[in-house]
Amino acid sequence: MQDNQRRKMVEMKGVVKFFGSLRALDRVSLDVYDGEKVVIIGPSGSGKSTLLRSINKLEEIDGGSIIVDGHEITDPKTNINKVREEVGMVFQQFNVFPHKTVLENLTLAQIVVRKRSRHDSEKIAKDLLAKVGILEKAKEYPTKLSGGQQQRVAIARALAMQPKLMLFDEPTSALDPEMIGEVLDVMVKLAKEGITMIVVTHEMGFAREVSDRVIFMDEGRILEEGSPEHFFKNPTHDRAKQFMRQIL
Amino acid sequence: MAPLADDKKPIKEAKHVTIDVGDGAAIPKREDVGLFTAWRVAFFGAIAIIVYLAVFRPDPYLAIMKFVPDGILVTFEVTVLSIILALVIGLFTGLGRIAKNPLINGIASLYVEVIRGIPLLVQLFYIYFALGRLIQMPPLPSAVLAMGICYGAYMGEIFRAGIQSIPKGQTEAARSLGMTQSQSMYHVILPQAFKTILPPVGNEFVALLKDSSLVSILAVADLLRRGREFAAESFNYFETYTVVALVYLIITLFLSKLISIMEEKISAG
Repeated sequence: MQDNQRRKMVEMKGVVKFFGSLRALDRVSLDVYDGEKVVIIGPSGSGKSTLLRSINKLEEIDGGSIIVDGHEITDPKTNINKVREEVGMVFQQFNVFPHKTVLENLTLAQIVVRKRSRHDSEKIAKDLLAKVGILEKAKEYPTKLSGGQQQRVAIARALAMQPKLMLFDEPTSALDPEMIGEVLDVMVKLAKEGITMIVVTHEMGFAREVSDRVIFMDEGRILEEGSPEHFFKNPTHDRAKQFMRQIL
Repeated sequence: MAPLADDKKPIKEAKHVTIDVGDGAAIPKREDVGLFTAWRVAFFGAIAIIVYLAVFRPDPYLAIMKFVPDGILVTFEVTVLSIILALVIGLFTGLGRIAKNPLINGIASLYVEVIRGIPLLVQLFYIYFALGRLIQMPPLPSAVLAMGICYGAYMGEIFRAGIQSIPKGQTEAARSLGMTQSQSMYHVILPQAFKTILPPVGNEFVALLKDSSLVSILAVADLLRRGREFAAESFNYFETYTVVALVYLIITLFLSKLISIMEEKISAG
């Protein structure tokens, strides 16, 4: 496969994670290549969010190894903050900073972490706000914005760090149906620009449009992977068939 | 057997009730009509009495009122310095109480338990007289140190609760952007916790102002001490302590009101 010559952005080997006695991740191995778009699906409690959150060490794993952009993040000597600078994350609950304006939400980490000047970071921020279609809200506080707008701020905030990899943790699950489209549009646009993306979502339309690979998880394991079409037409496992019937 | 079961019943049905008394002067809220009216009666009543006494009973009241104001300044000096020290200690204690490091957490928790278990008056004596055998400190710094250490423990709990009231997602968002733990605390968590913390800190300020009267026993010339000095010379105990009590009342009522206005502004914006 030509994949083997491409650079690996994420390399997970035998990852194990416990919550108490519950095995949230059960020897999961997964490689994601530079520029690839991977969608992770699965029933709730299947470990898909835990898998995603372990990639930027928001969850500490109990076994196995994870290499992100060439850095072994499971090694205690690795400076995880340096790795996180290159890995953007978008949360289900948006988690925008309510005490900062929309513009400040985008400039804060640029100034504090990337050490950019205020002038430069504001320029980058404004370009991104224009891109996600909310430049006119730059001076507002995010609490005044709709859920869809807040999530677009959150996406722009992550992009402002110019990351190599973007993680999306059910980015549309907390949104009212009429706002899902505006967020997905931004994500599709982003995907077409070539950034590496790992997305936990049930939006199969999005998966079909942009993803290179769909991964189905159940009970902390990767049960099946394949193209979006494969999952639409004939998933192999009964669990995957059942799940696809439920969400389509 | 039946009566036994009956006896148990009320215990089972007892509801958990939270009684919020607060330790400052009661902070009036507009919804609490009774307290709001009581605040007006007490505040304007106290001012009216002071004015009445000064005008119609100038001897000895006017003399008292000329003598004690120096003490008000000292009372504020002790209060403000102590609260600043308490805020600094409280911030570190609060951070220590939520720290994962067991040693830091243990030290912070131990400090809170020990200090809250010893009366402030005993702490004052301890720092001024007992430790005075090792390090001689003038009364005012001793008083500020003792009050700061004592209130720092209470302030620590306020900081801890304030920090913990901010959703975990805020820290996660900050950390996912590459911020260190202290950057995320400083830029994201503390500014938000500040809103939650401000009203109880205001309460502590009023409580501390009242407790600052204890420092008069260390010969710090605060409001109460000035009153004692005047009374001791003139033997006008009733008149002097009436004025002292009224002045404390006016100050604490005024500050309580200020805090409640501040609190309303914060919750509105």
